[in-house]
Amino acid sequence: MTVDRVERLTNLLALLLETSRPLTLVQIASELAGQYPDKEATRRAAFERDKAALRSIGVPIESTVLTGQSAGVGAYWIDRDRYELTDLDLDPDESRALQVAVAAIRPASGVEALWKLGVDALEDGAAVTATVPQLAGLPTLRDAAARRSTVTFEYRGKQRTLDPYGLLLRDGFWYVIGRDDEHDEPRTYRVDRISGEVDIVENATFVRPAEFDPRDAFPRDPKQLGADADVDAVATVRVDGTRSAAVERELGSGRVVARHADGAIDVEVPCANLPAFRSWVLGFVEHAEVLGPAAVRDDVITWLRRVVRRGVA
Amino acid sequence: MRRSAEERLQRLLVMLPWLMERGEVPLAEVAQRFRMTPDDVAADLELAAMCGLPPFVDELIDLFIDDDVVVVGVPRLFTKPLRLTAPEGFALVTAGRAAMQLPGADERGPLGRGLQKLSAALGDDAVVVELPRPAEVDDHIAALSEAIRTAERLVVRYWTASRDEVTDRTITPRRVVHDRGEWYVVADDERSGERRTFRVDRFESIESTGEHDDVEDAAPGASLEWFADGGLPQVVLRLGPAATWVVERYPVDRVVELDDGALEATFPLASERWLERLLLRLGDEAEVLAPEQWRSRAGEVAQRVLARYGE
Repeated sequence: MTVDRVERLTNLLALLLETSRPLTLVQIASELAGQYPDKEATRRAAFERDKAALRSIGVPIESTVLTGQSAGVGAYWIDRDRYELTDLDLDPDESRALQVAVAAIRPASGVEALWKLGVDALEDGAAVTATVPQLAGLPTLRDAAARRSTVTFEYRGKQRTLDPYGLLLRDGFWYVIGRDDEHDEPRTYRVDRISGEVDIVENATFVRPAEFDPRDAFPRDPKQLGADADVDAVATVRVDGTRSAAVERELGSGRVVARHADGAIDVEVPCANLPAFRSWVLGFVEHAEVLGPAAVRDDVITWLRRVVRRGVA
Repeated sequence: MRRSAEERLQRLLVMLPWLMERGEVPLAEVAQRFRMTPDDVAADLELAAMCGLPPFVDELIDLFIDDDVVVVGVPRLFTKPLRLTAPEGFALVTAGRAAMQLPGADERGPLGRGLQKLSAALGDDAVVVELPRPAEVDDHIAALSEAIRTAERLVVRYWTASRDEVTDRTITPRRVVHDRGEWYVVADDERSGERRTFRVDRFESIESTGEHDDVEDAAPGASLEWFADGGLPQVVLRLGPAATWVVERYPVDRVVELDDGALEATFPLASERWLERLLLRLGDEAEVLAPEQWRSRAGEVAQRVLARYGE
């Protein structure tokens, strides 16, 4: 007798959900008479495959090793509380908001989750969408952060053990921030650089620092213009007409100190963080020129000369 | 396409609780909602109706299909959906938090409240999604979104970075997209007659025309062509220790760590201007390793800028 695999899986699921005590494979096979092979080795293999299939779709199968008469034999059941979705009690407008949120994300994901919440998924048609990169390790990392479970993964050729405090999507990259076993300070890892699987370490938990926010733990961007805002050094820069509108938008009209007939403008730009300032002004290539002060202008000239000399050598 | 047993069961386990709550649902409606063909729905439901508990005399999943309507009796099994898997929870949380960053979202509004209920169920995870909208971009996005709604044509002044030129164009915006830290608009471009992708922060001005094209119900999948990195030429850079941030900031195809803490990084070359700007800014910290014709580029560009300083 051949049984459709979906039928056998559904029956197995029902049996493990309804049973009042853990069931051994022999008991399961006898309850589901004719659905599992008779030969022990093939029966075990078929059952293991079914168990893996159920786990892969998220069914939590509990197992224990019996004592007493059938000592050493594995027995299985499903804890209904762990199986069933907790009712979120979403109001209709909240359901609707989540529905719209899922429709605004690329690549499309979350449709199955909406269905489980009893919410219909919208067809693709949002006017504003955002790309949220999907990476294999992310769901496990989020789950571990929520449950305060330690994880382990390979990063740049090395196995790391990390207490994941939180995740941050910044500039299109996912970062996991947490404490690893070698450093006292929180460290930041790029999730797309993790090779292979992220595994949860059994029975290893941690306490997340109070008020943790991944944005604060993230290393500050040293390139940011005016990083040392308390120093009010400014440079005057002439920007060609082709770029002047964008620069004025970026800095605000209050920074414009002169307007020229050809469309160029002179602007005052904070330059306390000299490397950041240099990087900003060189981003315009030949369409911007530092007018002063002389020290800042000389710094840029010296920088450019070095680049030229290096090209010759 | 043949569906795996796992896929079929997974779908059944969300379909059944929903059907039990409704009692009677036209087959076509079930099929549409769960994105399956009516035949597949019928086959899987009929199979589920045969399942149950030993000795299989009592119908635990009491359902039948009559005249293309699914009818469900007194529910006894699978009345509640299976809990969210880690990927499903992640998808929902990130979608919600990302949408919270889109124009018009409100912490105290329905999305904020829904997200709080979600966090209560899925755990406090400290996941932050940033979709920054600088003020000047925000105004543009508001204007573009409004124009998408009515398919209004806009006259825009746009800076094309790869050619470093500013052009006036007429576009009909179709969708605003955030990707890798930047905002884009996919729009019908009158000049080329094609659908093109523009960076929102490069619009110098946007003006309405009062003219309208046809509104599209579903914006077709926009291809952001410069992300299709495969077709672009590549450039290999040696990045000194102080310049390694570059691989964090730009799309990179390959990174090799060198002994002295430097990196050898291969980038898709989106535009020559991008590379010139990058090399100028990195100075000593970067060197082009390949291709050969780019090795002298940094010096040439620096010379060009020096000319501006009278050298």
